Amino acid sequence: MRDPGRDSGWRRVWDEPLFKTGVGIVGLLAVVGLLLTALNDIGEISFDFMASHWSFLLRYALTSLEATVISFAVGFGLAIPMGLVRAFGPGMIRRGGLARGVASPLYAIVTGYAEVIRGTPALVQIFLIQFWVTSTFQGVPGISLWAGIAALSVNTTGYQTEVFRAGFQSVGQGQIEAAKSIGMRPTQTFASITFPQGLRLITLPLANEWIALFKASSLLWLIAVQELLWGMDYIGTKLNHPIDAFILGSFFYLAILIPLSRAVTFLERVKRIPGLGVAEPQRRALFAARFARLDRV
Amino acid sequence: MIDREKPMVEVRKVRKSFGDLEVLRGIDMQVKKGEVLVIVGPSGSGKSTLLRCINLLIQPDSGDIFLEGVKVNDPDIRPEWVRQQIGMVFQSFNLFTHLTALKNVMLGLTKVKRLDGLEAEKIARYELERVGLADKADAYPAQLSGGQQQRVAIARALALNPKVMLFDEPTSALDPEFIHEVLDVMTKLANEGMTMVVVSHEMGFAKSVADELIFMDNGVIVEVGVPEEVFASPKTDRMRAFIGKILG
Repeated sequence: MRDPGRDSGWRRVWDEPLFKTGVGIVGLLAVVGLLLTALNDIGEISFDFMASHWSFLLRYALTSLEATVISFAVGFGLAIPMGLVRAFGPGMIRRGGLARGVASPLYAIVTGYAEVIRGTPALVQIFLIQFWVTSTFQGVPGISLWAGIAALSVNTTGYQTEVFRAGFQSVGQGQIEAAKSIGMRPTQTFASITFPQGLRLITLPLANEWIALFKASSLLWLIAVQELLWGMDYIGTKLNHPIDAFILGSFFYLAILIPLSRAVTFLERVKRIPGLGVAEPQRRALFAARFARLDRV
Repeated sequence: MIDREKPMVEVRKVRKSFGDLEVLRGIDMQVKKGEVLVIVGPSGSGKSTLLRCINLLIQPDSGDIFLEGVKVNDPDIRPEWVRQQIGMVFQSFNLFTHLTALKNVMLGLTKVKRLDGLEAEKIARYELERVGLADKADAYPAQLSGGQQQRVAIARALALNPKVMLFDEPTSALDPEFIHEVLDVMTKLANEGMTMVVVSHEMGFAKSVADELIFMDNGVIVEVGVPEEVFASPKTDRMRAFIGKILG
């Protein structure tokens, strides 16, 4: 604990992580703002155009968000059992007998799925699924969006499966053995030990996957889904303001992604358990302690 | 002093191999109710494997395990039913890292014994108090010393009211200054009449607490006897050599 008597008031304010973050953000905004203002002044970009069209882009940004949220949730739900198969399949196969009979084909299918999905371009997957879905459900209104959501779900499931596999495998053998030793069944062990511990270990890679998926949703433009990139292209080409449209659109991506990744970092810090997951830098201990009371609500 | 009825745990002709390595080559042993059995032997002699066979964390290849006369390594018996009657304490504590000390002790009560939260908490607090850690109920394992973690692990096992307690080198991973606090708890348990099987090289504990001592080497039991006598006058060369080594 720092001795408060030894520090001047300013020194203490400066040492607040929140203050430093604030200074950083304000500084960055100032630089970007100056740059954009200069571009605006020489007529390269137009603030007026952006101000009058941001609300047009908003509904398309919400479509992108919708596609991402739904497919991420679908992927999350599917990746848990599939990650389990990836993590514990080989062990069951080694055990032989009935376990082997069940686990072998499951493991082969799930592994093949993860490898194929991660080994082919997302855009190819989107096109393939789009062709199949639109030819099967011809004429259904809004079908291209649902085809896109299906394709993103298929894609993120492959990646999240590997994230969960890593999470489940990182839970120590001793933890599993201890759970067994008090008479817990395999399903109880998974629900009470492997899953909660694994989830904590993979918070960051999961957040990364969310970020990548949100940006990948822009690929749906190529199958005529009216999402954020579509909106940007529409006003950019129709109204002949491409640079303004793309700068404005980029701000929508940032406005959604930066708060999200900050929120994940914040949650990780507040909900942190000593000895599990990311280590806590000393400087941040004060910050975390301040919000720790939220934890007890 | 001890009720000499049918054995609490009996192991008959148990064999276990991992691949080509035969770790247990026909083990016979028993522990009566209220007895404390200490197992010693060089590393790789099969002590830990034997302990894990008793609560079926490892299934023996052949031979029988009996708990109070019931054969437990039987396809018709759920291993979970056996394990909840046998407490186990590990060398590396293995406390659930994402749970506080209190929740560690409560987990088996709520999930395995299906008690409601309030009752489980009452029992858990009582067990923590028994090992002298009532004030550490809300600490996470990483915030506790090794000795404290091991005592929580003992409380976790005791909470389920086991018939036997198995200890797998409970003090080997501890800094010297924490060993005695764990041994004290174990001694108290033994004096309260708990049936215990302890793999440990703590000679002092073996001499003062154990009713019987087994010396294992290469997957067989080489020598059995009262600890004082075995230490004082070992009958076999292997035991003599081993004692020489652990006494340094």
